[in-house]
Amino acid sequence: MSDKVLRIGVVGEEDAILAFKAIGAVAIPAVTADEVAAALFKLNQDKVPVIFITEQAARVAPEALTRYETSPDVAVIPIPGIMGTDGYGEARVRENVIKAIGADILINQEKKEE
Amino acid sequence: MAQGKIVKVAGSLIVAEGMASVRMYDMVRVSRHRLIGEVIELRGDQASIQVYEETSGLGPGEPVESTGAPLSLELGPGLIESIFDGIQRPLQLIREKAGDRITRGIEVPALDEEKQWEFVPRARVGDQVDAGDVLGAVQETPVVEHRIMVPNGVAGTVKQIHEGKATIRDTVAVVEDAQGKEHQLTMTQRWPVRQGRPYREKLFPQQPMVTGQRVIDTLFPIASGGVAAIPGPFGSGKTVVQHQLAKWADADIIVYVGCGERGNEMTDVLKEFPELHDPRTGETLMKRTVLIANTSDMPVAAREASIYTGITIAEYFRDMGYRVAIMADSTSRWAEALREMSGRLEEMPGEEGYPAYLSSRIAEFYERAGLVTCLGQEGRTGSISAIGAVSPPGGDISEPVSQATLRIVKVFWGLSAQLAYRRHFPAIDWLLSYSLYVDNLAGWFTDNVSPEWNELRANTMRLLQEESELEEIVRLVGTDALSWKDRLTMEVARSIREDYLHQNAFDDIDTYTSLKKQFLMLRLILDYGEKGQMALDAGSNLSDVINMPVRERIGRAKYIPEDSLYYFQEIETELANQVTALINRGGM
Repeated sequence: MSDKVLRIGVVGEEDAILAFKAIGAVAIPAVTADEVAAALFKLNQDKVPVIFITEQAARVAPEALTRYETSPDVAVIPIPGIMGTDGYGEARVRENVIKAIGADILINQEKKEE
Repeated sequence: MAQGKIVKVAGSLIVAEGMASVRMYDMVRVSRHRLIGEVIELRGDQASIQVYEETSGLGPGEPVESTGAPLSLELGPGLIESIFDGIQRPLQLIREKAGDRITRGIEVPALDEEKQWEFVPRARVGDQVDAGDVLGAVQETPVVEHRIMVPNGVAGTVKQIHEGKATIRDTVAVVEDAQGKEHQLTMTQRWPVRQGRPYREKLFPQQPMVTGQRVIDTLFPIASGGVAAIPGPFGSGKTVVQHQLAKWADADIIVYVGCGERGNEMTDVLKEFPELHDPRTGETLMKRTVLIANTSDMPVAAREASIYTGITIAEYFRDMGYRVAIMADSTSRWAEALREMSGRLEEMPGEEGYPAYLSSRIAEFYERAGLVTCLGQEGRTGSISAIGAVSPPGGDISEPVSQATLRIVKVFWGLSAQLAYRRHFPAIDWLLSYSLYVDNLAGWFTDNVSPEWNELRANTMRLLQEESELEEIVRLVGTDALSWKDRLTMEVARSIREDYLHQNAFDDIDTYTSLKKQFLMLRLILDYGEKGQMALDAGSNLSDVINMPVRERIGRAKYIPEDSLYYFQEIETELANQVTALINRGGM
């Protein structure tokens, strides 16, 4: 990989990720669990530090994602797919918040917004 | 014979006066019941005597008669398969004579005096013999050849030697010493229990005593001629471990001392040993076993003596050139007997009321173990491996008996109540236990098992250590915080614990594992760890690695019979194939 290429990877349904190719990200289409796992693995092997993954792809391969959760050299970030968000990313943030501080502090925020 | 008079009775301790001529540790006969006692303290003409039998009904004024000799054992053919009490009285004969309960003052010969033994001479008339030289041999049981040795203190020329049938009371040889005195030798010799039998030289043990128990042989091996302690709280399986060692240890002779423990535990031994067969000789285990029983309801003073009786018998067989293992269950009860006697003697108590000389007494016992070159011109070597159970109250090994024991022994098998509660048996705690023989035995394992053995052992210990560190993290933040590599490490460690260290004493196959099988099992598990890691590195999913179908077979490997070890080859191939399949899939 040359230095000029943006060090960002994108994994997900082909339609959703094509646009990222335009800005120089490495886009790998993946739909099944095995494909997602293989795509993430390849990006990680190439030392891509930031990987966006569509929520839909993240949902089919939960186990593959856990591998990189604890890895210090890569961040896997869920993004909405072409159908818009289905709440996966938000649920994950909430989960992590609960783990980090022991309480769901995001509940109140939502209520205020309502 | 010196005769004195009782002036004081305090439980199993009596004080008698008019005893100026007796010496320390002389045996005495007390009262008209002729109870057996031993002098343990002398002040002027007053002697304190511990009585090995119940003293109720005794009072001041009754006679005490000295026998003029210390408490001694009669050593000769007939020891094997016998069950003795703490002062070498055969319980079988006592039962025939007096019924289920031992009556007081009963006198029975320690060894069968009528049995005819086939004496095969080894020495010839005119031979020069020294103490320890073999005069001849008697086939005591199908597996034990009882070698009749020249007793200590006798040396000279053989004048006469017997061949053929003889009882233990018949003269089998006449030896004339340098002064021209003739010694009529029988097949037995007497030896005072409190004195170690002499040997030529003590050697450093270089060979393990293989026990067939995986956690012991692999992680904490004991040398043949080594000393080990098994401390553990109640119910953690001390007795079962002791029984397993008595059954499977590759020793020629087993001396099992049941010291202050429950009677039914001795019954277990008596029932099981005649049914179990020694894998090496094919004969029953009883044919190489001597039992000494002083159960919790037998007199305390005899408990004190039982340990010495056991080790003296062990030394006698060691002198014949055998590898002997002695199990003492439990030395804590023995120490409590010491404490009781010390209390009655009104001695100044030490820690927790134990006498101040507790640790020197414990050391005295364990120091009589070891690998030695025996007396005699042949230069035979014999060994005693001593394994003592310790029952610290509440499982807290900071108490005096455990601490005094730990100062001396080189192997420590610490049993853990937690493991026992989780039903992990044998509950030997791998993080707590140690064996100081590992480095000395490394060479033997390399030569006799596999050059890989020591590395496997080190890797196993490292994995178990890592597991305990990772468990700390899991307890704090949960499994999610662990990387896949660490999770696989935990999985492999779990496999070591459950598939390897856990061993069922009551399963016909699992109860004993040869070193060869131990090596194959361990290599298989560690191989899985390594290959699993390779698969992860190649992009496989953790769940696929953990749920590989071959793991079922790895877990069952312990049930592979010793004569079908070729199955391991099959499992190894299967493992390799499944990992290759995973890697091919994962690296898409």
